[in-house]
Amino acid sequence: MNYAKLNLMKQLFLLSIVAGFFGWNFIAPTDVLAEKGYTEIEVADGGTVIGNVKYMSGSEAPGLNLYRDWELSDASKTSSEKLIVSKINNGLKNAIVSLTDISRGKKKVTSVIHPLIDQQNNIFIPRVLAILEGTTVDFLNGDEVMHNVHTRSLKNQPFNLGTTYKQRISKKFDYPEIIQLTCDLHKNTNAWIVVLAHPYFDMTDRNGYFEICDIPPGTYKFRVWHEELGNLEKEVTVNPKEITTIEFEYSQN
Amino acid sequence: MKPKVLLDKVSLWSATAVVSVALMLSIAPTNVKAELKVPTEITELGKDTYKKYCSPCHGEEGGGNGPLARSMLPKPRDFTRGAYKFRTTPSGSLPTDEDIYRTISFGVPNSTMIPWDILTEEQRLSVIPVLKSFSEAFEFRKPDPPVEVGLRVRPTEKCIAQGKKIYEEKLECWKCHGIEGRGDGPSAAEQEDDFGFPIKPFDFTTGKFKGGNSPQDVYLRFTTGLNGTPMPSFAKELTDEERWCLTYYVMSLIKPEDDNHK
Ligand code: HEC
Ligand code: HEC
Repeated sequence: MNYAKLNLMKQLFLLSIVAGFFGWNFIAPTDVLAEKGYTEIEVADGGTVIGNVKYMSGSEAPGLNLYRDWELSDASKTSSEKLIVSKINNGLKNAIVSLTDISRGKKKVTSVIHPLIDQQNNIFIPRVLAILEGTTVDFLNGDEVMHNVHTRSLKNQPFNLGTTYKQRISKKFDYPEIIQLTCDLHKNTNAWIVVLAHPYFDMTDRNGYFEICDIPPGTYKFRVWHEELGNLEKEVTVNPKEITTIEFEYSQN
Repeated sequence: MKPKVLLDKVSLWSATAVVSVALMLSIAPTNVKAELKVPTEITELGKDTYKKYCSPCHGEEGGGNGPLARSMLPKPRDFTRGAYKFRTTPSGSLPTDEDIYRTISFGVPNSTMIPWDILTEEQRLSVIPVLKSFSEAFEFRKPDPPVEVGLRVRPTEKCIAQGKKIYEEKLECWKCHGIEGRGDGPSAAEQEDDFGFPIKPFDFTTGKFKGGNSPQDVYLRFTTGLNGTPMPSFAKELTDEERWCLTYYVMSLIKPEDDNHK
């Protein structure tokens, strides 16, 4: 075998390792959005961080939809709901902003009402859900056909359950982890549950806005996660009883 | 004279008792002896056995990527995620030690995973802690208790017809497994497992069930699901009777050997 060929193979091999590493990292439980150890305290003089997450694309990429969810989804079309960007301000929907290095802060309150993920017309609604650890999520089959709900988590017990029309399943998520949900009968759809260890997080709205409040003054790392675009990080100083505005920008390349 | 007769009678009776107990044990549904002595720690024996007999396929670190694994399909199990297909525990749960022992001893038909009965019982038991050590899932979670297997009903015609209805209408098993059970339903082609490898819904006509051929085995497979695969658990959807009827219907799809290769 000649040397160039060998070298090429070596590079391909390395590349595949690197690619494998990233691919794995994407859903890997090590990629949690928060560190361990969190103490609850009274936050009297907390600050607020508001901001915007943008996605700057050079051209109008197909598959980007302006307020797609206003339309009734068409069962015969495959959906591409991964990237939802506002045409008005390039705001990115369904990105999750969180503090990664906060160890003391406000009380963790899990919602008594279970957040719901519904399978309608073969699509998970909502597509992305951010929850505090210890939260129970309900899964509903809103369609008159069989579905299954399949997760691949490691720390939280995974599951793969077949469900018929109107079946409702409750599952509690106890550990921080990014979890993908799929239905093996309808491959074009999936959803994400992001479990966080503390209450300092928010998911962007349709214009890319988020707000996180009652943060004890200090300097923190903020991270955005998006299923397609990955992570961005930024250090932000939060002042007592002040509102700080920040912006994150994903670019196309 | 009399005491001798009595003695004979007693010994005869006790012999029958022993035999019948033995019989009962041998037809007991789990096939595996009740008390297994699985070492709690990794032993030298376990390490050696794994290295010698298992790592060529399952890999030194349990990643399912040993030197023999390359062109193999189905792939040797990757133990790092704690996803075991053949269990008595609910969907997503880790397996019990008995479940793992059962698979090691009986193998997985239609794959390169042979029954490891060439190893001693002690060797087979000793690898269990080694397998578990490959996944941090065993640090975070404990196996759930095994699912309850209800009292078996008789496979009457009515029951099998009910099973057919569940297979075709209520739970739509055919979408993956096909109407005739050949593993060729409309959703069959695109299936892949949690590790990203293609996987085929089981072809029931072959009759060589990977998780075992008894009605209870089949019952357990669709009740608990096969972790790490698209095969879901249908734990919530059926009554116990319906479960047995579905089991009998699925088993009625098996084609006699010679019919198979036409
Ligand atoms: C020649 C290759 C080969 C060798 C050697 C081998 N296995 Fe396997 N093993 C496989 C394959 C292939 C599968 C997956 C079968 C499937 O999923 O259909 C498997 C699956 C398994 C499973 C999965 C059980 C489940 O419920 O998912 C266990 C446990 C296991 N092997 C244990 C062992 C042990 C212990 C040894 C050594 C004593 C061993 N294997 C040696 C090929 C091998
Ligand atoms: C989403 C597709 C899908 C659906 C729906 C589905 N299965 Fe499966 N099933 C599979 C796959 C894939 C396998 C094979 C896994 C393997 O080879 O390891 C399987 C395996 C099985 C097995 C195990 C056979 C063995 O080797 O031991 C049984 C039993 C089974 N299915 C029964 C059913 C029944 C009954 C239903 C309906 C209630 C059903 N399945 C619905 C995909 C599906």
